[in-house]
Amino acid sequence: MSQANPETKHYELICVIVNFGLGSRVLGMAKKNGVSGGTIVLGRGTVHNRLLKLLELTDIRKEIVLMVAEKSLAFNTLEVLDAELDFSRPNHGIAFVMPVGAFIGTGNYEYEFTAEDGGASSMYSAIFVVVEKGLAEEVMDVAKSVGARGGTIINARGSGIHETAKLLNMEIEPEKEIVLMLTKTESTEGIVKAVRDNLKIDEPGNGIIFVQSVAETYGILNA
Amino acid sequence: MNILVSYLKDNTQAVVPIVIIVMLLNFTLVPLSVPVVLRFLIGALTLIIGLSIFLVGVDIGITPMGARTGSSLVKTNKLWLFLLGGGLLGLFVSMAEPGLLVLVNQIEYVTAGGIKASTLLAWVPTGFAIMVAMGFARVFLGLSIKVFFTVGYGLIILLAWITSRTSPEFLAIGFDSAGSVTGILVVPFIMALAVGISSMRKDSKQAEEDSFGLIGAGAIGPILAVMILNMFTPTQDYPVISLEPAMAEVGAIMSPFWRIVPTSMKDSVVAILPLAVSLLVLQRIMLKFEKRQFSRILKGFVYTLLGTFLFFMGVNGGFMEVGSQLGYYLASLDNKIWLLVISFGLGFVTILAEPSVHVLTHQIEEVTSGYVKRKLVAASLSVGVGSAILLSAIRVLVPWLSLWHILLPGYLLAVVMTYFAPNLFVGIGFDAGSVATGPLTTTFILAFTQGAASAFPGADLLRDGLGMIALVAMMGIITLLGLGVVFGVKSRKQGVESDVASKS
Repeated sequence: MSQANPETKHYELICVIVNFGLGSRVLGMAKKNGVSGGTIVLGRGTVHNRLLKLLELTDIRKEIVLMVAEKSLAFNTLEVLDAELDFSRPNHGIAFVMPVGAFIGTGNYEYEFTAEDGGASSMYSAIFVVVEKGLAEEVMDVAKSVGARGGTIINARGSGIHETAKLLNMEIEPEKEIVLMLTKTESTEGIVKAVRDNLKIDEPGNGIIFVQSVAETYGILNA
Repeated sequence: MNILVSYLKDNTQAVVPIVIIVMLLNFTLVPLSVPVVLRFLIGALTLIIGLSIFLVGVDIGITPMGARTGSSLVKTNKLWLFLLGGGLLGLFVSMAEPGLLVLVNQIEYVTAGGIKASTLLAWVPTGFAIMVAMGFARVFLGLSIKVFFTVGYGLIILLAWITSRTSPEFLAIGFDSAGSVTGILVVPFIMALAVGISSMRKDSKQAEEDSFGLIGAGAIGPILAVMILNMFTPTQDYPVISLEPAMAEVGAIMSPFWRIVPTSMKDSVVAILPLAVSLLVLQRIMLKFEKRQFSRILKGFVYTLLGTFLFFMGVNGGFMEVGSQLGYYLASLDNKIWLLVISFGLGFVTILAEPSVHVLTHQIEEVTSGYVKRKLVAASLSVGVGSAILLSAIRVLVPWLSLWHILLPGYLLAVVMTYFAPNLFVGIGFDAGSVATGPLTTTFILAFTQGAASAFPGADLLRDGLGMIALVAMMGIITLLGLGVVFGVKSRKQGVESDVASKS
């Protein structure tokens, strides 16, 4: 990782996959540790067991927690989570971090787009836009108008620094939608800018965008 | 932890509170005989296992089938086909609902044949099917859910007002049959159908809101149907037959279970048969599941059948008797406070073990990606059902208080509250009301209130014993709409005013 500009903060995407029901706890712990917010997606895992497969009992419900944080905070958070949840033991979930090229959204963070993150410059980048439920279509429309080829909408829930309401000691995590778009690196900046301006991502509480570079893609048709 | 294990864990947590309450009563106020207690414990265990297997079956069998059927119906893009298909499926599935079969037979019995089971069995599912189709039409045409329920319940209140002056029995029968028709299989299927239909929407927020409310819509049908039936029936006084609380042979522990094997088997087969036939037919003409997926769904149906069977065994073999004995003895105590306290307590914990409630809460979590937590919905329903059973007990104690005195203000309140709750919760609330009245409530709690009613010389079994289901449905709606109102207020972001206006 090139530390060309010491002013630039480096961000990491923290992914934690845990059994269903633990997601909110993970997010809560991370927030206590200083992470500004996170998004939770429901998933399904499977167990490897022949008998269970015959009985069709292989499903396990999972939750995937996605959080973006500044590099040192991200690693620190991961350690804190590991201490609490014991990822090394079987069935306790997994966690990993990935570098993020650009991160916009929580107001106080600066925006610096570095396409050649990770050394070699890559052809494509993955843009993640997390917005309030119902706004994903708008994100897609805006992105398509400036050259995005398509995108995938993922249902999620999550909470940022402005969403801290509680009900019967349970935190309310409003519904979100994640739009995932794979785009050519040269058009990434334009798409990010358009989405950012149209959905006012820079104003606090309107969502976040982060971009990761992608090493290899298949199935994206070139115009 | 696979799904069966996690369901077993969940359900054990749900059933243990009932066991604790009954055990505490057994050692203090209401000493039960040893075989009865043992049967109750075996029943509770069977119920936990049955419920878990049933929920696995719903997950891998009923839900995928319903969802695919819903989206295939939308793809035809023909409104008439859509309504006809939805209505026919609603009719087909609700006719076989075991809870309904029990209720109509009981009504025929207590009215000494005055109200025929076969008549009700024709009117109730038809009403349900028509209203399910109307619910489909609402989604298709994009009508507001608030307006829909306001009109529906407005009609009910109007007709109920007329009915309550001539024959109050029909009022209770109407609400009770609506509650019992939305039982163990109708709920998961119709709910999955609704999710399948709404998932085709491009507007994701609308899609989520439309995922709920279909069962609540369907429940309007039987109430209207029975009250319309009443208009064509000459007013008459039905002879009152008093029911003694069921006291089975004292010594036996296992034999009562063996005795109900055939009926439980029959009930569960009858309940699942229409869905299974629909699956086979629809697979040919419309669904076209891949082979691997189809075999998975078939296995799901086997689980559902087995689970339903075990569930009925547990409830009928161990729970009913304890319910009616508890009600009878508590009502005979001099201090009536105990009856009221225990009524609330039993209602509060029993609802947590209701299969359709699990199906609903899981579906809510799934559709909202966990935003509306299962525990919150369950807790609100517990409070609602607890107070409903409390109200039923009060009705038994206070003879002049008629069902109508509670239902009118209650439903008016519910209709008004819809305008203050988010749309999502309007659907969830009306669904939850019907869902709360599942097979456990209609057996265990019904036995409890009837036991209490039979301890009173002044209580009329038909008017007091019935009507409990109506109250459960009503309070379920009210508490969940209440939760919705709180949620709506709490979900607003703090410190960010800019986008509050644009959301609403």
